[in-house]
Amino acid sequence: MDLLEIKGISKIYGSVKALQNIDLTVKQGEWLAIMGPSGSGKTTMMNIIGCMDKPTEGSVILDGTDISKENAKNLTAVRREKIGLIFQQFHLINYLTAVENVMVAQYYHSMPDEAEALRALERVGLLARAKHLPSQLSGGEQQRVCIARALINYPMLVLADEPTGNLDEANENIVLDIFKQLHKDGVTIVVVTHDPEVADEAERTVVLEHGRIARIVYNDAGDDTGKRADKDAGDDTGKRADADAALSDDRSIV
Amino acid sequence: MFVALLAVAVGATILSGLVTIYYDIPRQMGQEFRSYGANFILTAANGAEGVSEDAFLSSTALIPSEKIVGIAPYRYETVKINEQPFMAAGVDLEGARKASPYWFVSGEWPDAAGSVLIGQEVADMIHLLPGSRFTMTGTGLDGESFSHDFNVSGIVQTGGAEEAFIFMSLNDFSGAIGERADYDVVECSISASEQELEAIGAVISENVADVTPRLVKRVTQSEGIVLTKLQALVFLVTAVVLALTMICVATTMMAVVTERRREIGLKKALGASDRGIVMEFLGEGLALGCLGGILGVFLGFGFAQLIGVNVFNRSISFQPLIVPFTLIASIVATGAACLIPVRSATDVDPAIVLRGE
Amino acid sequence: MFFRLVKGALFRQKGKMLMVAFTIALGASLATAMLNVMLDVGDKVNRELKTYGANINVIPKEASLLGELYDVDDDSGLTEHYLNESELGSLKTIFWAFNIVDFTPYLNARINVNSRSGGETGVNLVGAWFDKHMDLPTGESLDTGMRNMKNWWDVEGSWISDDDADSAMVGGILAERMGLGVGDTISVSIAGRLQDLNVRGIFNSGSDEDERVYVPLALAQSLIGKQGSVSSIEVSALTTPDNELSRRAAQNPNSLSVKEWETWYCTAYVSAICYQIDEVLTGSVAKPIRQVAESEGAILEKTQLLMLLITVLSLIGSALGISNLVTAGVMERSREIGLLKALGADNAPVSFLVLAEILITGVIGGVAGYFAGLGFAQIIGHSVFGSAIAIKPMVIPIVAILVFIVTVAGSLPSIRLMLSLRPAEVLHGR
Repeated sequence: MDLLEIKGISKIYGSVKALQNIDLTVKQGEWLAIMGPSGSGKTTMMNIIGCMDKPTEGSVILDGTDISKENAKNLTAVRREKIGLIFQQFHLINYLTAVENVMVAQYYHSMPDEAEALRALERVGLLARAKHLPSQLSGGEQQRVCIARALINYPMLVLADEPTGNLDEANENIVLDIFKQLHKDGVTIVVVTHDPEVADEAERTVVLEHGRIARIVYNDAGDDTGKRADKDAGDDTGKRADADAALSDDRSIV
Repeated sequence: MFVALLAVAVGATILSGLVTIYYDIPRQMGQEFRSYGANFILTAANGAEGVSEDAFLSSTALIPSEKIVGIAPYRYETVKINEQPFMAAGVDLEGARKASPYWFVSGEWPDAAGSVLIGQEVADMIHLLPGSRFTMTGTGLDGESFSHDFNVSGIVQTGGAEEAFIFMSLNDFSGAIGERADYDVVECSISASEQELEAIGAVISENVADVTPRLVKRVTQSEGIVLTKLQALVFLVTAVVLALTMICVATTMMAVVTERRREIGLKKALGASDRGIVMEFLGEGLALGCLGGILGVFLGFGFAQLIGVNVFNRSISFQPLIVPFTLIASIVATGAACLIPVRSATDVDPAIVLRGE
Repeated sequence: MFFRLVKGALFRQKGKMLMVAFTIALGASLATAMLNVMLDVGDKVNRELKTYGANINVIPKEASLLGELYDVDDDSGLTEHYLNESELGSLKTIFWAFNIVDFTPYLNARINVNSRSGGETGVNLVGAWFDKHMDLPTGESLDTGMRNMKNWWDVEGSWISDDDADSAMVGGILAERMGLGVGDTISVSIAGRLQDLNVRGIFNSGSDEDERVYVPLALAQSLIGKQGSVSSIEVSALTTPDNELSRRAAQNPNSLSVKEWETWYCTAYVSAICYQIDEVLTGSVAKPIRQVAESEGAILEKTQLLMLLITVLSLIGSALGISNLVTAGVMERSREIGLLKALGADNAPVSFLVLAEILITGVIGGVAGYFAGLGFAQIIGHSVFGSAIAIKPMVIPIVAILVFIVTVAGSLPSIRLMLSLRPAEVLHGR
């Protein structure tokens, strides 16, 4: 069954085409990676799937609802009910303890339940650090709190933006192990990354280039030579250059 | 940065406005205090009959003319109305009106020859109303008895001794009672502090013979007390406002620095020294203080002018000294306010900032 | 959870919140101090203006002011009238008794002073209270007299007291004319009676008082044989500046409607106080001394207006300071607000959370500021006026509303701005 169905979406910022005519479906329980170089439209894609932005054209159907037509208030509700977000920069509230950061998500979703929040932390191996403030946690630990927070409301879709981008290798492996466990539990995961090692763990990798899907790679059980569906990448190169300049990765500007 | 500029400008405005008012209070309120009437009188020196015309003119010439509110020379003689004795005063009526603004006159001030003001007391005793006529008799200065008719133009109420007098112009006085070349007393209302009045008095007694200048202590001393207290009040308020403004500027600068932590981190990563960053921020702060100070000088003067016109109905004198004072104060305040946040700015770790936390 | 969020924000980032609370406290303290001083400045300046002396003169109904004239014959056919000394205490029983600061009765007489050269000089003798202690029927007590009312007198030697049986104070001009110094004895005579007086003080007042001799009231009464009589009373009262109503009332109180009359009677206009004095002292006429009464009104009005403007200015200043900081405080939290929205929080709860934190900070800062402001006001009161500033309870709601409005007005626009940003923009810095 398709959880997410993207039909012909485009996103245009002024004269820059960040996404052009993208079609994509994600099945329930699938682990999908979206890959691509800086400026390829990954982040835009993630924002649209995460209900934090709307496409200029096309429709995004999540769990049977077309979220591309909803207003901001309803999008907020969809985010709250169906999506768990994991950020590259963790985005923990620095004056709340680990367990409280998890409880914030419960609070805005329904009812805070400290015991359940503690169990969520236990699942990511952080029970001992539950009462620590983010400033007292390492990067990997912060990312695990972020994951616990994303999972606490049992979302239909977990959306991770460069979840390992700020982590060293040891922590990267811990996070990937958690993802594998989640996948085994049947959680639908979409990971946005530019790290091929992270992408390889997914069942399917969508490679974006210049706002279009360049190819789709299936990573079935270590089989690196899966089917490739090369889609035509590129009609007018001038516009692409523009898009590259404007969308050169945000993290380097800030 | 705009917010910080606003804070500095508002602070400088309040500061320069209050300081202007502080300096102008004696001048502004002094005018109000003149409604108490004469604060300086000239009487005959020991032995002399009165203040001669010459002495009067040369004495009043020694008083700075811009400080004079009103000067009223008086001549007194006893006269009779209906055979009852009264005191007639010949006075420069225009001067008396200015020197004693508290006189409450029902009717009109005399404007024609033969018109007089009478005190409430006199009016009650001989039943006169504004517009009535009466006959004044007595023995003139030449020894002859006289009889003159006068018109009551107004009745004076003061609650004091004046209510028992009849006031007429000096011309009418001479015409009825006889020529005199001197005055019994000269009442002066001068817009000046007690010290200034004492100085004026000293100059007069030194240069003019036969005249004793005296301060009306009750008026001068009390004026000094009240004005000193008002000034002290405004001074304290200014100090408090200045402190508050400094703290506001400091907190605003802190916010500005916090907002720019990334920028600072980037600059440090690019190799800027702590000193360079401090200088840069301090420079910005000082420029801000300077700009805010200039704005404040103009706005503050406008504000003081507004108070002057609305409260005292007269404009404020421009104090050039306030310009450098406000500028220096706002630059120093902004500079001092920048120090703490700038110090914390140099503690920024470039690595953390650039990682995006 | 809401509480935990607020608690976390407030207590785990103490530095930031303390800074905001501190600024709010400063603003609130300035507002409190200025408002208290402004509301009390009228009273304070009014008391300072009392140095100008009495503003009401009470004389017997039939008497004339002619006695105050320079040289008018004493026996000009006027019958002598007096007020009753025993009724003086009732001055403190009138409606505006609290506003009567000081009063002094006077008894005037014409005496002859035998100078050392042997000649006789006619002088005005005045009997008065100097520092009289009175116990009122109401149970209060009161110290009043010339020492309070003529505090501008420049006295060489000392003031005399009311119990002295043979002491006098002599005006400077008279003393100079007669060659008197402190400690000299003068011998005075009136209606054939002789009395030796010890000159305890010589004063300089800068008015015609300088040509008089002052003795305790009891001594003057026994000298002229008028026990229990006074010829005039000077009253120093705190008054409200005159307006149109009080001027009409001063002309004729009966011309007012019942309602106007009540307003007038129950306002501390000088004419209303005079009217009330007439009511309690038999056969008296109380007259405002215009020189003092009018000027007081003018100066009071100006001072209050000045203070009002300065207060408004400082309020604007502190309001700007506070809202500046609150705005900056909210702007700083854009990331956090974006995150909460990304986690699925609606606009209302997020605004609620931020507002609650700021208001709690505001309350803490405001309360601290209020008490600091009371301290400020007392510092101002003591250093400027030498007395405490009355604490007006009405300042509390004004400051509370001010702090509330300023913090909310300072935070609402920035909260709205924060909410209008899409979480994606804030979280990815786009």
